[in-house]
Amino acid sequence: MQPVREEESSSIQNDPGNCSIPSGDSSVWADVSPLLSAACTDLQEGELIHGDNFNLFAAMSALEIMDPKMDSGMVSAFYSIDEAIESGFAPVPISSDKTVNVESIIDIMDHLLVCEATWHMGHSLAQTVFSCIYVLRPERTSSQALLHSYCRVIRATCRAVVSVVSDARTNEEEDLLTMTYGLPFNGDEDAKGLLLLNAVEETICRQLRACKATSAKRRLLEELEPLQTNPHLEEGFCKALLCRIRFRKHFLHALNCMRRPQGRGHELARKHIASCISELQSLLESAEFLRSNTVNNGETEIEERTTASGRQPIGFDSTLNKRLSAPTPPRAIKLLSWKKAIDYFVKLLHNLDQICAFSLEPDLDFVLQFVIQFHKSRPDLVSRAHLQLLLVQDGKLYGRDTFLTICARLLAIDVSKNHGLHLNEYILQLNQLMINLLKILCANTPWQRRKLGKILNDWSIFNVQMGINVGQLMQQDTSRSQKNGDRSLFILNHVYGWIEEQIHWVALRFLVLGFELDLYSPSEYCMVYWYMYIILWKLHEKARLRVLIVVHSEERKAKRNKEYSRDMAREDRISLWVLLIQCQTSLTQGLTLMIAALRNEGMCLKSQGPFNTENEKFTQHFELLQKASLPEYDAYESFSKSTAHASLDFLPAYECFRDAQKMAKDIKVGYANDPDKLAEVRGIEQVAEHNVIAVNLLCQDRSLKVSLEFTHHPYFATAIVRRS
Amino acid sequence: MEKSIEEKEEFDESEIEYTSYAGEHHLPLIMSLVDQELSEPYSIFTYRYFVYLWPQLCFLAFHKGRCIGTIVCKMGEHRQTYRGYIAMLVVIKPYRGRGIASELVTRSIKVMMESGCEEVTLEAEVDNKGALALYGRLGFIRAKRLHHYYLNGMDAFRLKLLFPLKPRLPQIASQDQTQQEQENFTA
Repeated sequence: MQPVREEESSSIQNDPGNCSIPSGDSSVWADVSPLLSAACTDLQEGELIHGDNFNLFAAMSALEIMDPKMDSGMVSAFYSIDEAIESGFAPVPISSDKTVNVESIIDIMDHLLVCEATWHMGHSLAQTVFSCIYVLRPERTSSQALLHSYCRVIRATCRAVVSVVSDARTNEEEDLLTMTYGLPFNGDEDAKGLLLLNAVEETICRQLRACKATSAKRRLLEELEPLQTNPHLEEGFCKALLCRIRFRKHFLHALNCMRRPQGRGHELARKHIASCISELQSLLESAEFLRSNTVNNGETEIEERTTASGRQPIGFDSTLNKRLSAPTPPRAIKLLSWKKAIDYFVKLLHNLDQICAFSLEPDLDFVLQFVIQFHKSRPDLVSRAHLQLLLVQDGKLYGRDTFLTICARLLAIDVSKNHGLHLNEYILQLNQLMINLLKILCANTPWQRRKLGKILNDWSIFNVQMGINVGQLMQQDTSRSQKNGDRSLFILNHVYGWIEEQIHWVALRFLVLGFELDLYSPSEYCMVYWYMYIILWKLHEKARLRVLIVVHSEERKAKRNKEYSRDMAREDRISLWVLLIQCQTSLTQGLTLMIAALRNEGMCLKSQGPFNTENEKFTQHFELLQKASLPEYDAYESFSKSTAHASLDFLPAYECFRDAQKMAKDIKVGYANDPDKLAEVRGIEQVAEHNVIAVNLLCQDRSLKVSLEFTHHPYFATAIVRRS
Repeated sequence: MEKSIEEKEEFDESEIEYTSYAGEHHLPLIMSLVDQELSEPYSIFTYRYFVYLWPQLCFLAFHKGRCIGTIVCKMGEHRQTYRGYIAMLVVIKPYRGRGIASELVTRSIKVMMESGCEEVTLEAEVDNKGALALYGRLGFIRAKRLHHYYLNGMDAFRLKLLFPLKPRLPQIASQDQTQQEQENFTA
């Protein structure tokens, strides 16, 4: 970049003078004042002086002063919060008319809910929740118990959310959520908010009872001042406030309960979550009453509003903290609507409930399947952070079980006698790999996929090293150790076998996430299904071996000890899972062959651009898998060879889709009591069924038009055949 | 950084003239085009960073003297690969859907390829169907999805085009050879 004038270094006065900061070995301190003053007279607008290390980041960090999109320091509505307060922007009380006061507080509550949801979804705290002066300066409202306690509880809730997300550190690229920009978070004062809010709730309950009471009873309650002055509106306002207050209370309680170690607060958290969901329903129901008090702006506009009433709330200015939020460019953010914010919270609460309902079984198969299922509803950051903190605490699963015991359980081995094993270098490394894996699986799916691709290499290196070491030890092994009851080597050998299975599981998840993230284009499906087929085939082989080990070991235990009760449910569960893998293997084989045949017959586009070939696309998509030696041979060559001669004529003979269909039928019986799994398998069955029909039709009439669609399953395509 | 296709302008493809960046007089044309079409503001330093260092990768499209499209790129080392990067691509709405963007991108990619780049990358918004189709036709794959990449919370795809890998060793040998031959010749 050349607009820039770099003066000759000789013109700079060297001043080695008494400088307290050392300049380093190969440099000296120099006075740049003459250079700068020369530059001032010489530089035109848009020119700058730069060093050799001037890069894109530096260029983009430059801002043009007084450009409202770049300059955070530009004064918007107010110069400071104090100025805003002095100008009467956020009065206390909001109005001397009690009815207007209550109405306005409800608007503030609604708008804060919107701000909170928008914040959770990735916008800055400073521009959302803390754009409210009443939240920023709660001490101003201490005489107004309702508004004061509500704002305190909002602040405490924000703190709880920041804490869970920053503890989980799932938040790479989502780190805006934890940035608090030095905003005032006074823990102690805010914690008292909940007590105050309880008292306020009690009062409003009494006010509600009073206004509904018959005149006789009312005399008894006469001393109680009503909420506001209009008796016709008293009941509606009381109800609208109560559900808002109760939601806040239960939400904070739920978050706190979920943080108790080892999932001990989950049962109670579920009760609070259920209350939250029902209060949100009441919130929605209160909208009609609140809207009836305002001038109607038309239904469509209301849908976009941030309050139930449709009014603008008092005391909010999103530019107030602009200077605090300097790392984010000064952009106006688009808040959700009030209805969308409620939808967000309902979804969040359902996700939190899913976590609390999870049975914390010390079974890795179970955990992994749960995490995959959990991701299907696309959970947001807050619930994912909670899940991660539950799964990994103090380096243990649920803060309770070491990964050695978890692995041993997977293989039905008893490790209780092998005291030294938990200090074994491979077991320690495995522990770390497992912790990393579980944390990654709680991250957002784009990041998760990238990380899974990268850790495959770590797992594979670990696997190779462990294989060599265990192999050598096995050769040297004397049966001495086994007699002492120490079966460490035997266990390590089994763990080694299981790691290979786990690597293929990670690889499969990596490939599947590509569909979820829309990373594959139709011309690439053939290679993707081929790769999935290769991985599934190996995964099936490894998993089947494990089932045999488990069954064998359980049988032996049962023989030795008559009273030993075999966990048949668990054995059935893994057998069923292995059958599902086999079913998916057939399905991906069928898809690969079908698409390859369509390509070979010119009925479906090949992946061809002017600058490269399919080979380069293949390399790019599967680079990370190949680095991890998955598979160990030249994958592209194998893919080309195995698909080059696929033809529609031979397709029905392979019966891959029929096999998949048959297996799916059997699996469905096993999953009869699990609606989520059942739906998944039913989808697979339908894909297989439709593809059998499509292949038969295509064989009879090659003039048919065919497209691949995901109507029955999110990543197994169905061939849709149409007359041209 | 690209936009989708909307209203059309009547013109003949042969009327479009393409030119490589040729100096400061082109800068305001590029800036006004990018400023009006893309949401993010760039300071003049960002534009200059690109066009001063890689003028050969920057192209402009003109119709009857009016600048209607532009592409701004860079290239350099990135984790042991020499990589081209498409930073900005704009064709104004009435001229979209007629292959102008494809032509601009193709010209830049050719220069990158000749300059020894091994791959080309860029980011595009996940719902920018037009741009995704354009780059898909040119052989780009969607290598990654970037969560909340844009300030509006939208995800992006990182698109990548890998050039065919040339068998390296023989090529280096032949280069050395020619160099040596030349040296011999001049000597």
